[in-house]
Amino acid sequence: MKRTLAALVLLSVSPTVRVSAQDRIAETQTVLSQLVETYGVSEAEGPVREAVKRLLPPWAKSETDSAGNLWVRVGQGDPVVVVIAHLDEIGFRVTAIRDDGALELQPRGGFFASLYEAKPALVHTERGPVPGVFVPRDTGFSRHTPPPLRVDVGTTSRQATEALGIKPGHTVTMPKRFVRLAGTRATGRSFDDRVGDAALLLALRHLDRAAVKHQVIFIWSTREEIGLEGAQGAAAILGTTPRRVHAVDTFVSADSPLELANFAVAPLGQGAAARALDQSSITPPAYVDSLAAVAKARGVKLQVGTTMGGNDGSAFTRYGVVDVALGWPLRYAHSPAELVDLGDVASLADLVQAVAESW
Amino acid sequence: MRCSSNKAVGALVLGALFLTARPPVRLCAQGSGVEALAVRLASMTAVTGLEQAMADSLLALVPGSARDRAGNVTLTLGGGNAGGPKRLVACPLDEVGYVVGNLTDDGYLTLRRVGTRAAYPLFDQQLEGQPVTVFGAGGSVPGVVAVKSTHLTRGRPTGSDPVFTADNAYVDVGATSRDEVRALGIALLAPVALTKRPHRYGDRLLAAPAAGRRAACAALVAAARAKPRVKGTVVVAFTVQSLYATNAGLGTVQALRGPFDETKQAALATRYTDTAVETVSLKDAEELERELVKWMEGR
Repeated sequence: MKRTLAALVLLSVSPTVRVSAQDRIAETQTVLSQLVETYGVSEAEGPVREAVKRLLPPWAKSETDSAGNLWVRVGQGDPVVVVIAHLDEIGFRVTAIRDDGALELQPRGGFFASLYEAKPALVHTERGPVPGVFVPRDTGFSRHTPPPLRVDVGTTSRQATEALGIKPGHTVTMPKRFVRLAGTRATGRSFDDRVGDAALLLALRHLDRAAVKHQVIFIWSTREEIGLEGAQGAAAILGTTPRRVHAVDTFVSADSPLELANFAVAPLGQGAAARALDQSSITPPAYVDSLAAVAKARGVKLQVGTTMGGNDGSAFTRYGVVDVALGWPLRYAHSPAELVDLGDVASLADLVQAVAESW
Repeated sequence: MRCSSNKAVGALVLGALFLTARPPVRLCAQGSGVEALAVRLASMTAVTGLEQAMADSLLALVPGSARDRAGNVTLTLGGGNAGGPKRLVACPLDEVGYVVGNLTDDGYLTLRRVGTRAAYPLFDQQLEGQPVTVFGAGGSVPGVVAVKSTHLTRGRPTGSDPVFTADNAYVDVGATSRDEVRALGIALLAPVALTKRPHRYGDRLLAAPAAGRRAACAALVAAARAKPRVKGTVVVAFTVQSLYATNAGLGTVQALRGPFDETKQAALATRYTDTAVETVSLKDAEELERELVKWMEGR
């Protein structure tokens, strides 16, 4: 830990200091773990936004727009480039409190609800988290489609549940932790997109501001998982001003014994991954080539591939902004068992820094 | 850190301290109470037939207890008044779980289920996409069970996937080869279980895998430690292998220590039985402790 702190102190003083690969992993873990262990379901990203603000380098001046997006601007002049990662995570929202005290839920984002069934729950209220459990089904014993999930907070009446400070609109998650695995691997929930958030922070911490020859706007966005809503607000504010946008989000990888390997092949441990084609955007091939050239010139490991899912950058394309989406390979996306290689996260941060400084 | 709080944060912090089967958990001021004992035991894993770590903890928790040839932990109370009844009170300490069945070339573990008596039809499916703990020779090793990524199923026909079973489980500990797995101290037959994070909610409810058994055994530990004035002789037994073919643990106690004039099982009612959030009332566990003391004293 002392070594990590020393590295962080050095970095805050002198952004050009080179650190060892081991210290780079330690720094990456220090930033990422704090973000992963913070809760922020779509429309309730406040705690994550505050965590990002705490982790910004001292020189960074941030502002929050009316959609809840957090902005940091670096450099001046054209072309304006946007780098955007989302703050929110998948989860649930309380829609009603039943007469028996249990909570009815609406999923926020797309995932297998069965992964939450019969697991501990946290209801996020103004008074703090209230523990409960996701009620296991008693009928319909199938794979991924349980009956609508409910949460039992240990009460037997609506009044008793309300007395705990729970109201419709509150968000619900499962407890989560950042856990290191073998080698440089780590697991936790909400790596999508806390890894993207961490990559932006790490890039800013290491950024050589003198090398930035045009304006680069770093945005941590809200409500991506429920329809890119925060990004749409940011894109509307900027209009046709940006030349490029770099969404920094999960490359859902087929590097798993359960997936077909006919696309989305981005093995963990092989570096950052360009999302050249996903469900919301296609990066023009010339831009993919330019990105690969930037990465090569800076010695950053980069994989290029196609995966599924959408990204915040696609909210900008209607304004003529080119989306060059970046990512990192993630196993078991949108599950409580998401798994990354921290070397890939560091590689992604290096790529974001390289894009800001030299493209 | 607060030791015994009904508040959410207190419960979570306490739960987080009891993540593995490593026995040296700090007990706080109320450490001898049923509540702390129940949380402690619920944090541990005792796959049926592989209960040694749990048995070690019980030996430490129950002064005068001993391990028999089957692995049961037993304690004899009373016996001073010749001719009194000889009675048995038992609590099964095992749980349905898994062991490593194979290691793949690319570093995944596959599983074999141990124990068959699970009431919840989706017992194995609770593993899918969840954190697990592998108990290797060098200590506990964290991992996860693989699950398909939601995104990669989009646009593809999914049909109706069959219910997940242990045969579908690939445990990912971050290794990339069989040799890396072995270097972590993991070999065939290493126990595997959902990572235990006892979770308290509501009015002193405890949710965890096998929470009912663990809270009942906690009540029996507390009763045995309460120094009851036993009528006749009482054998206290924490039994192994209750969930396997022949209930060999209880059978061994009866064969070696019996016959008994009366046998009592320490048990508690549970909600969401055999799920990862099996729920037991800690108030009920305290009442069970009192009931067991009375029973031992012949009242």
